[in-house]
Amino acid sequence: MVTYVAEAEAPILKKKGFWDVLLSEKYFRWTLLIPLLVTLAVFMLYPMFFSIYYSFNTFAPGKPTIFVGLENFRYVLHDVRVFWPALFAMFKILVGCLAVELVFGMLVALLLNREFKGQNVVRGLCLLPLLISPLVVSLVWNYLLQYDYGLVNQFLNGIFHLPKISWWGTNMAIVSIIFLTSWQWTPFSIFVLLAGLRSLPRDAFEAATVDGASNWYTFRRLTLPMLSPLILIIVMLRTMWLMRIFDPLYATTRGGAGTETLDWVIFRVVFMYFDLGQGSALSIISLFITIILAFIVFRLLMRALGVIK
Amino acid sequence: MKTLKPVLFWIAVVLVVFGFIFPIAWIFITAFKHRADILTISLGKLLFFSPSLESFEHVFTYTTITKELVNSAIISVSATVLVMLFALPAAYSFARWNTGGGHLLFITLSTRMFPGFLAAMAYFFVYKEIGLMDTHLGLMLFFYYFNISFATFLLYGFFREIAPELEQAAMIDGYSRVDVLRKVVIPLILPGVAITAVFVLVFNWNEFLFSVLFTKINARTVAVGLAMFWGSIEIQWGPMCAAASMAVVPTLVAAWFMQRYIVRGLTFGAVKG
Repeated sequence: MVTYVAEAEAPILKKKGFWDVLLSEKYFRWTLLIPLLVTLAVFMLYPMFFSIYYSFNTFAPGKPTIFVGLENFRYVLHDVRVFWPALFAMFKILVGCLAVELVFGMLVALLLNREFKGQNVVRGLCLLPLLISPLVVSLVWNYLLQYDYGLVNQFLNGIFHLPKISWWGTNMAIVSIIFLTSWQWTPFSIFVLLAGLRSLPRDAFEAATVDGASNWYTFRRLTLPMLSPLILIIVMLRTMWLMRIFDPLYATTRGGAGTETLDWVIFRVVFMYFDLGQGSALSIISLFITIILAFIVFRLLMRALGVIK
Repeated sequence: MKTLKPVLFWIAVVLVVFGFIFPIAWIFITAFKHRADILTISLGKLLFFSPSLESFEHVFTYTTITKELVNSAIISVSATVLVMLFALPAAYSFARWNTGGGHLLFITLSTRMFPGFLAAMAYFFVYKEIGLMDTHLGLMLFFYYFNISFATFLLYGFFREIAPELEQAAMIDGYSRVDVLRKVVIPLILPGVAITAVFVLVFNWNEFLFSVLFTKINARTVAVGLAMFWGSIEIQWGPMCAAASMAVVPTLVAAWFMQRYIVRGLTFGAVKG
């Protein structure tokens, strides 16, 4: 390969070969991107065209494909008992998790933002939930929150004499899902915010202390505005990931008890009923909602970073 | 007051750490219990029990856990190698020339918010046709796709810390572009490469959605195996926890490796230090 480059640097002498063009200074940047571009084409473009095509057709295995126009979209949007509750459940999980993760993450980050003995051990232990498989986490919480023999109910009932709660019942299941998802992802907020807190300029805070500002006032007027880009990054990434939530549902309610999200409906329609037409229509709708949400947060983030006005 | 404050601080720290560690510890505790001590409704028996290897015996007798662990290892490691091989040049191109003016990087990132089912649906039938269903290669390709965006984004941050002048100096010394990348730039960001690789490895190891859709017996990963303990009648908590306790060991090792780097690493360049 090295010899080819040498040839490329001595131009015009002979006709350039394929490798010379790829490795030339002008095209090298694109050469490096070829594998990535192929990946994007294979795994994003093709599925997208595939879904768009099938969202206008009916398809079931063994039956001919029939063009039906917007019928699939009309059907899924009018299926009031499935679509809108699923959308609502998705937003409940999204808002609930973001709120818990940000508030609790900020509290723990503020708590850990100091030098103390064993700080690395404490931080390392707080990181663990993030790295353990979401499926395992959800399964173990499923066990801990069981009605009869779950530890949480037995603890509440045995020590505090509170009534047992049906955690996986119709009303509480979505709360339990929010709880265990936030439990797993709060460390992410903690670590991002902690990294932010440690890099804040110290003099502004000293000035505030000299001026006799209260802790709450300093936090609201100094810490929070300075951390706002990081908070938005957390919101953006978590929004993208939370809309794709799957493992916690699979390991606990399997879409029952009012926890069926939009993605779960797609999973059910496509991989249980093999109805590609409706599944594609739902995927396209889901993709649009995600893009709109992510774009709004992305704009906010860019504004907070001062890239756009 | 002066002595009260550190005490309160430590109580808070212990509570937080306990809250994060206890459910994980509970997996290991449950793994060493008799079936009777798992489904008991007496709090005393739930907490104080005589250890047993019953669940582990069950796992090794009735399931293919060893094969699943090997499958997971093969697929995760090979997908990680593939991701690093292709993400490194791409991230370098983005960092050095801002190729595609930022739009391409955003599209790359957006694979993470792309509905997984969209890709799964399109390839479900393709895989059936060409016989990639339930093979290591088939699942590995999905793992690769799932992680390349994140790896590229992380590496992009590391590459940006290298000064272009350094590369120019090397090129004046007669290095080609390929040599510069291979002999100068990558050795400099080796810690970053290592962290990225460990992240990707952990994500691959934990992946569930594509695994459950695209594997059945032959290439079944440990995550799918864990979900299998949920039979039609009941969930076998004991064997499940025993299998899970083995499945999380690699991630615990990764955590130990990463905790030193993670605190300063996660600002995404948003706050100037």
